[in-house]
Amino acid sequence: MDILYIAVNILVFLLLAPLFEGVVRRITARVVQSRQGPPLLQPYYDILKLLGKQNLSAGNFAFRIAPLVSLASILGVIVFLPLGHRANVLTKYADIVTVIYLLTMGGVGVLLGALSSRNTFALIGSSREMITMIMVEPVLAMTFILGAVKIKSLGITASIFSVAGGGYGASVIVMMVAYLAALQAFVGRQPFDIAEAEVEILEGPFIEYSGPNFALFKYYLLLKQMFYAMLFVIVFIPAVKTGLYGVDVLIQLAFVLLVYVLIALLGSTHPRLRIDQAQKIYGVLIAASLVAVGLSVYGI
Amino acid sequence: MNIDLYNSLLTALAILLVSAVVVPLLSGKRKLAGWMNFILVSAAAVVLLNICATVLFGSGSVGESQLVRIGPVGIYFLIDGFSAFFIGIISFMGVVSAFYSIRYMEHYTDYRLWSYYLCFPLFLLGMIGIVTVDDLSTGFTLAWQTMTVASYFLIRFEYREKGNVRNANKYLILMELAWALVLCGVFFIDGASIGDPLHALAGKLGSAGGTGMLAVYGLTLAGFAFKAGVFPFGQLWLPDAHSIAPSPVSSLLSGVMIKTGVYGIIRTFFWMTPHGGETHLDGALWGLIIASFGAVTLFIGTVQSMKQSDAKRLLAYSSIGQVGYIILGAGAALYLLHGAGETAKLFAAVALVGAVYHVMNHAVFKGLLFLVSGSVLYATGTKDLNRLGGLLKFMPLTALAAGIASLSISGVPPFSGFASKWTIISSSLLAGSEVLFLAMFGIIALFTSAVTLSCYVKFFGMTFTSVGAEWSVKKDVKEVPASMIAPKLLLAILCIVQGVIPFFYFGLIIDMFARSPGSTAAAAIADLGGAGLSAGMMGVAVPGMGGIISAVAVPAVVLVILAAGLLFAGLLRRSGGSEEKVAPTWLCGYQDLNDRNRYTADNMFAAFKRAFRWTGGNVKK
Repeated sequence: MDILYIAVNILVFLLLAPLFEGVVRRITARVVQSRQGPPLLQPYYDILKLLGKQNLSAGNFAFRIAPLVSLASILGVIVFLPLGHRANVLTKYADIVTVIYLLTMGGVGVLLGALSSRNTFALIGSSREMITMIMVEPVLAMTFILGAVKIKSLGITASIFSVAGGGYGASVIVMMVAYLAALQAFVGRQPFDIAEAEVEILEGPFIEYSGPNFALFKYYLLLKQMFYAMLFVIVFIPAVKTGLYGVDVLIQLAFVLLVYVLIALLGSTHPRLRIDQAQKIYGVLIAASLVAVGLSVYGI
Repeated sequence: MNIDLYNSLLTALAILLVSAVVVPLLSGKRKLAGWMNFILVSAAAVVLLNICATVLFGSGSVGESQLVRIGPVGIYFLIDGFSAFFIGIISFMGVVSAFYSIRYMEHYTDYRLWSYYLCFPLFLLGMIGIVTVDDLSTGFTLAWQTMTVASYFLIRFEYREKGNVRNANKYLILMELAWALVLCGVFFIDGASIGDPLHALAGKLGSAGGTGMLAVYGLTLAGFAFKAGVFPFGQLWLPDAHSIAPSPVSSLLSGVMIKTGVYGIIRTFFWMTPHGGETHLDGALWGLIIASFGAVTLFIGTVQSMKQSDAKRLLAYSSIGQVGYIILGAGAALYLLHGAGETAKLFAAVALVGAVYHVMNHAVFKGLLFLVSGSVLYATGTKDLNRLGGLLKFMPLTALAAGIASLSISGVPPFSGFASKWTIISSSLLAGSEVLFLAMFGIIALFTSAVTLSCYVKFFGMTFTSVGAEWSVKKDVKEVPASMIAPKLLLAILCIVQGVIPFFYFGLIIDMFARSPGSTAAAAIADLGGAGLSAGMMGVAVPGMGGIISAVAVPAVVLVILAAGLLFAGLLRRSGGSEEKVAPTWLCGYQDLNDRNRYTADNMFAAFKRAFRWTGGNVKK
């Protein structure tokens, strides 16, 4: 049965991540920009088409392995997630520090690809990506740590469920706001899509990628986006549950959809910031999360 | 049995001395001298590793310090588990570095090698001395001076380069200052006489007490902190000294020598403490001080490292940062042992084990990284990251070793840095529920891991990937000879092994503490062994702390999951049956890539560097 939970984790993410992206594109087009927009299933078509196209390469080993590293590590993170409030057989083998480092490794894949593609724009993108990683990772880490210090455990389920498990105190509210504010940076969308910045540095780290390699990176980005949306739901909305696994997963997916609506609306109404401006905002978010952790140590 | 141990130690030291006398005479024949040096150092290392194995795995009792008479002076030596551990690291890295030197030192055609082969074994001898002598006066002085003077001449090896002699002199002066600080500290102990072993000092300290205690511990801490490279002392000498020495020596300096400072700190604060008397070491205060130094050091050192464009300076600053992790672990352990509740003592043990494990891991990967930068210097003639780039194609094996070392030091699972940092960070985070400042230090350490990653993205990215060498390096870049690749691959394999089976090493370290009687952490560590952190496959479940899973099973599981993920990704990529074609870099179609429009190391992380200008260590354009 436990094995089944892992399969559900992977399938839910692999199958639905592109659909949610389709929703974002639909909302951006219809609600904000008053145009038809692409079909809901467009992200699936994109990936399928890319998989069949010619694979242009910079001709070195690092360039080829980079997309594999990214996709594998985000899948590794997803495996550990206690979807539907159930820990699976693997969850206990990792803790929050492992999850954080695995997420970092996904970023390492992107950076490796960018650096080995020899492209100037990609290098600019990688420099920005690295800064973003440094500055937003603490917000994620402190979301976990908030729960960890409450329950004195770094276990994934223990710390995740105890963040808001005891109700919404001041520390949880502060943390939740910081997480939501950092969400666009986590998922690389406006106003924090500085590393990719399509119209400025042409997708930055991914500029040299095409065909199947690019499909893997695209899939990585979609999965990462869904992971952060799902994490918000699991961490901050733990109370809404029925006890039935299937129903709980569906409820969580419904909430994820709401988070995506937020992502879409924020993303399509905010212009991109410069990296130095964004850095200041990240600084504030880090400070806010530190306050949250401090408050929770004192039980507030 | 103990007599044997100390006789072997003297034998090994004698072999090193012989090497220092004989090999310089042969230095006209560079290759022969290199091999002789390697053979004699290895012979000494075999004896030393044998001592290490006897102490760590043997059945005899250890822990009695032994008076050894060398001519007119009697010096107390002590070989217990803790010193054996350091002896092991020093002699192993010594052999690796000696082997690497054979070929590497050949390329200094302008310099004669006698001074190098005179000082190399003496340097090792001094370091072995530091970790085996059991006093802070006579023997300590002899060992410290041998180590310092030998390393001074190794550092100023390229004395014709501008600025090198100046930097080496600075190193010498500051190390003498550190020595003086430690010695002064001892003089503050009432009734201490020259040549007293540590436990006698601790006893006298116990009866003296009072304000003297502050001076004693403060001065010794400052002295050893100088050596370890702790902020702000480390910044004064470490980057300048480590970056100008020949690379095999840099790898010993950063990998091993600064650890003697760590050894001193841990030895002083966990062993040289008064037991039973009216006065006690104020462990909570000193733990707070040491942990604070650790947190500041790891943050500042790493941020400064990120700013560097000179490969070896980047590595040197990063050594400061990594020592910060070790010091943080030791300080947190000291605080938790004395200043918090009973459960906290278990975290203290975990933190201390993590700190010692990081000593070992850092020796391996930082040693490796310096060998890598040495190879790059050998092949291209430069260590300026702005001029390097694209070496992946020419030096694939060096690049592979560099990649593994970079991932290790950045703490990416399942490489070795992850296991030890994980232990330090998680114990301080967990203890943070009782002690807020430790939680904050844990968060700083976690934040700094990402900064460490950025250092090595720059180091690896700007050396091996990216572009640049084809324009700015005039000579033909070739992979370095096999005798310079083999040591790197060996260390790279260790980086992986130490990451995948940390439980073996945790068990070893716990055992090591069990064989080093007299420390204040002994009881806590013994509990830890009892609670199951030792070599079980399923890892710790510290009683009442359900949910902490130790690093025991984590790396293996993560490795399997990642392998499955990679397989899936690989299959997905091939599922469309598309063909691969190598294409030139695309810069919007109207411009080819050239030396003028490439992205150099100076530009990386510009916004971040501006925001952290205040941390110092900035590079002038």
